Amino acid sequence: MRGLRGFVNRFLGLFGGRNADREFREEIESHVQLHTDDNLRRGLPPEEARRRALVDLGGTEQALEAQREGRGLPGLERLAQDVRAGWRGVRKHPGFSLLAVLTLALGIGANTAIFSLVSALLLRPLPYDQPDRLVQLWHTPPQQQFPGRHQFALSPANYLDWRARSHVFEHTAAYGGANLSYTDGSHPENLTAALVAPDLFSVLRARPQAGRTFLPEEETPGKDKVAILSDRLWRTRFGGDAGIVGKPVRFGGEPYTVVGVMAPGFRFPAWADLWVPLAWTDKDKAIRGIHDYMSIARLSPGASVAQAQAELDTIARALEAQYPEDDKGWGALVVPLHRELVGDVRPALWVLFGAVTLVLLIACANVANLVLARTLARRKEMALRAALGASRGRILQQVLVENVLLGLAGGWLGLAVAREGITALTALLGEQLPRFTEVRLDLRVLAFTLGVSVLTGLAAGLLPGLRLTRVDPAEALKQGMGRSSADTGGRRTRGMLVVAEVSISLVLLVGAGLMVRTLAKLRAVDPGFDPRGVLSMTVALPDAKYAEPGQRTAFYDAAVERIRALPGIAGVGAIDGLPMTGGSTQPVVIEGSPDVPMSEQPEFAVRAVTAGYRDTMRIPLLRGRDFADSDRPERPQVVLVSESFAQRFWPGADPIGRRVSLTFHPGLREIVGVVGDVKQQGLGAILPAPTIYVPVLQEPRYALQLVVRPKAPLATLATDVSGAIARVDPEQPVTDVMTLEAMLDDSLAHQRATMLLLSLFAGFALLLAAIGIYSILSYSVRRRVPEIGLRVALGARRLDVLWMIVGNGLRLTGIGLAIGAVGALAATRLLSGLLYGVRPADPLTFAGVALLLTTAALLACWLPARLALRVDPMVALREE
Amino acid sequence: MGGKADVMQGTLLLMILKTLETMGPLHGYGVARRIEQTSGHGLLVNYGTLYPALLKLLQEGDIAAEWGTSDNNRRARYYRLTSAGRRRLVRETREWERTAAILGRFLVPQADRS
Repeated sequence: MRGLRGFVNRFLGLFGGRNADREFREEIESHVQLHTDDNLRRGLPPEEARRRALVDLGGTEQALEAQREGRGLPGLERLAQDVRAGWRGVRKHPGFSLLAVLTLALGIGANTAIFSLVSALLLRPLPYDQPDRLVQLWHTPPQQQFPGRHQFALSPANYLDWRARSHVFEHTAAYGGANLSYTDGSHPENLTAALVAPDLFSVLRARPQAGRTFLPEEETPGKDKVAILSDRLWRTRFGGDAGIVGKPVRFGGEPYTVVGVMAPGFRFPAWADLWVPLAWTDKDKAIRGIHDYMSIARLSPGASVAQAQAELDTIARALEAQYPEDDKGWGALVVPLHRELVGDVRPALWVLFGAVTLVLLIACANVANLVLARTLARRKEMALRAALGASRGRILQQVLVENVLLGLAGGWLGLAVAREGITALTALLGEQLPRFTEVRLDLRVLAFTLGVSVLTGLAAGLLPGLRLTRVDPAEALKQGMGRSSADTGGRRTRGMLVVAEVSISLVLLVGAGLMVRTLAKLRAVDPGFDPRGVLSMTVALPDAKYAEPGQRTAFYDAAVERIRALPGIAGVGAIDGLPMTGGSTQPVVIEGSPDVPMSEQPEFAVRAVTAGYRDTMRIPLLRGRDFADSDRPERPQVVLVSESFAQRFWPGADPIGRRVSLTFHPGLREIVGVVGDVKQQGLGAILPAPTIYVPVLQEPRYALQLVVRPKAPLATLATDVSGAIARVDPEQPVTDVMTLEAMLDDSLAHQRATMLLLSLFAGFALLLAAIGIYSILSYSVRRRVPEIGLRVALGARRLDVLWMIVGNGLRLTGIGLAIGAVGALAATRLLSGLLYGVRPADPLTFAGVALLLTTAALLACWLPARLALRVDPMVALREE
Repeated sequence: MGGKADVMQGTLLLMILKTLETMGPLHGYGVARRIEQTSGHGLLVNYGTLYPALLKLLQEGDIAAEWGTSDNNRRARYYRLTSAGRRRLVRETREWERTAAILGRFLVPQADRS
């Protein structure tokens, strides 16, 4: 306690030094007076009396100094002194300081921006109660049917069995999605509804801001016409109506009662505009072979993810034995919800974080180099201080304090950079970010920035500081400016910095180069159709209003007819799942093939299209005929197959006239044509996706994507088409209006964003490295002016001088390239999951990047070399 | 240098506390004179060394200080014991006596032998 109290008082004593000094002077003066009085009383003459008093005291200034030492904390006071001295130093060299601070600000700012992403996505917990107890449940599909797929949606019967037989979950909830149209009187629009088991809200422990969540009985068909609105929907479409709970609203053409409004932060699933009960009929509940639903669960207290996985494994094996027809090969997978939601971006995020850290390292090296050049100029000052008794630690401390000041200034400015960076990042990444959280500069990020600023300052100051403490005072003072002496240690240090900058830049540039090549390869992939100029949009007919297949057929017939009649239209078609968007598959049986259980039948994408679809998309017809308007329900059922499908079953033979049956749509269908493959799963999909097309007239769907190709680019195309649809059904909303080119671009958004950011960082690194090489070489040329002058005077040719400078730069660059190549080989393996069509050790990328770096290094050498060529031997030698 | 100075300073602190207990509130010069007289002029070459010790006691709350007027009408800063200081004095006196006793037992036989 005493120690603490003393410390606190001493700490407080750091401040108000002047007042304390004045008071102590008064006290000493009074002491001397009292003593003098005594001496006078003893009969000493006045002058002698006072002199004796002062001698006995031991000197006023000494007493004052002893007092000062005891008053505060000497270590801290010296630190404060260094800070003041450092600040003076920073202000005395505004050019140097500005350059250093700007370099650090960019480095720290970029780091802060990326870290705020890392913080928001990977470190911040999900906004639910005890989020680490939440898991997502998946099927794992049999690998021979679904090679490469490890997560699959659940079937109702299996989900219900999992729920009934497991003990590790407190609650589980299945959910799915549906489009519900909503019209506020004039403007129809499509809402995305989450069909959820009432337990969903118990799993997430979410409470509504108004009304209630679903009751258990509301998952019974007939009692399920109740809805809970998201806060966003409630505010935008219902004006935040406080009395909304209990009101009837029509969604998808059917009457619902609003029973609740969720709180603003509640977004699960992220795409939900509103929630309605998932009401499985007894028939639905018996479905085991169709995998259409998602499920989340909350672990029971004490149960671990591993235990849950083990229990579901056992249950899934029992189900395989019990229902081999549907379940053979189907397993279970438990994934923590957080990993489920951010799993996609995690690798890219760590890559970016690594990249931006490397950029900061280069920035550090550059600042270290600046500081080194400056501190070596101050060797005399430091040597003097060392000679006067300043310890090495003290000198090091001063250099470090100066650099930490620079780091903090850089960090402060870096926050401004980061704020802009975050805005740009969220704009760039947009839809790819899981929407459960927002990216912002929170306390964690600020603490990170502070830490990085201090560390950066220390890192940039350590090397120059250590260099400086090794200076032998006698040597340094003797040398005067120390110009012509061989400053080998300093040169080695600067050489190390160049090597480090070049090697780190190489790693970053290789990473960026690989992503650029990946994107180029992906863009060069033929999607199997011609996207140029084609506009697409989604029309999702409400179930209730279009319950009869005939109604749907009539709607699409009329819509296609009206669009085709618009001026300037070359073609119009529709499909129930555009290429690139993935989509469902189903088991397909070839006529005459041996009978196997459904769970072993191969699965293929089955798409329903209109007669004009293939032509509009310009997917080549390789054999047979296209669908025609005459392929109506009452006519023989027909299909088109893609080339890879034909090759898989009839290699080298003609598939026309063969028949297949689709498990979910009974009946044998005759193959009438073979068409080209399209990239169903995205441009990056390695394997072609064998696809079967059925005429939409024979398989009427609710939701279709229209594709419209104009004869020439048409600005009014979107409004014209929407207008045509509105004339068929004014209540029918049209959504997702976009060009196919934009859709292709969007499908590459993830790679493009990674590529752009990596390129940005790599470009920045390249620039910094070039500046670093330039400043190091020009500094060394300035120091070697007399030597160069001597060489020229002794007959060295211009080429020799040139080579002396450039060769030095190139040698350092070469070492850096070699080290960087090794580093890059190790680092780019982290990228491999993001690459397409290039190997991490792509020789072309490595060679190109090395060439680029060498060119940059040559440029950076050129200016100092010219400086060296201009050295006038006479002037140089006279100076010496 | 640390250990030795601490012992010396510890002794000085104890002397100051004892002086203030005996004499009541006293200014720095008075404390110095008193210690000098009591020690038979064997201590305190420089009065200035007293002030850091006084400051330490102040900071640790054992004494308090305020400005006052001396007998011959000089302004001076008077120090007085606080209750914490009184407790410290009792405790440290006891410790000192124990140390002295041990040291005494240790030194006496040696003196005998010589």
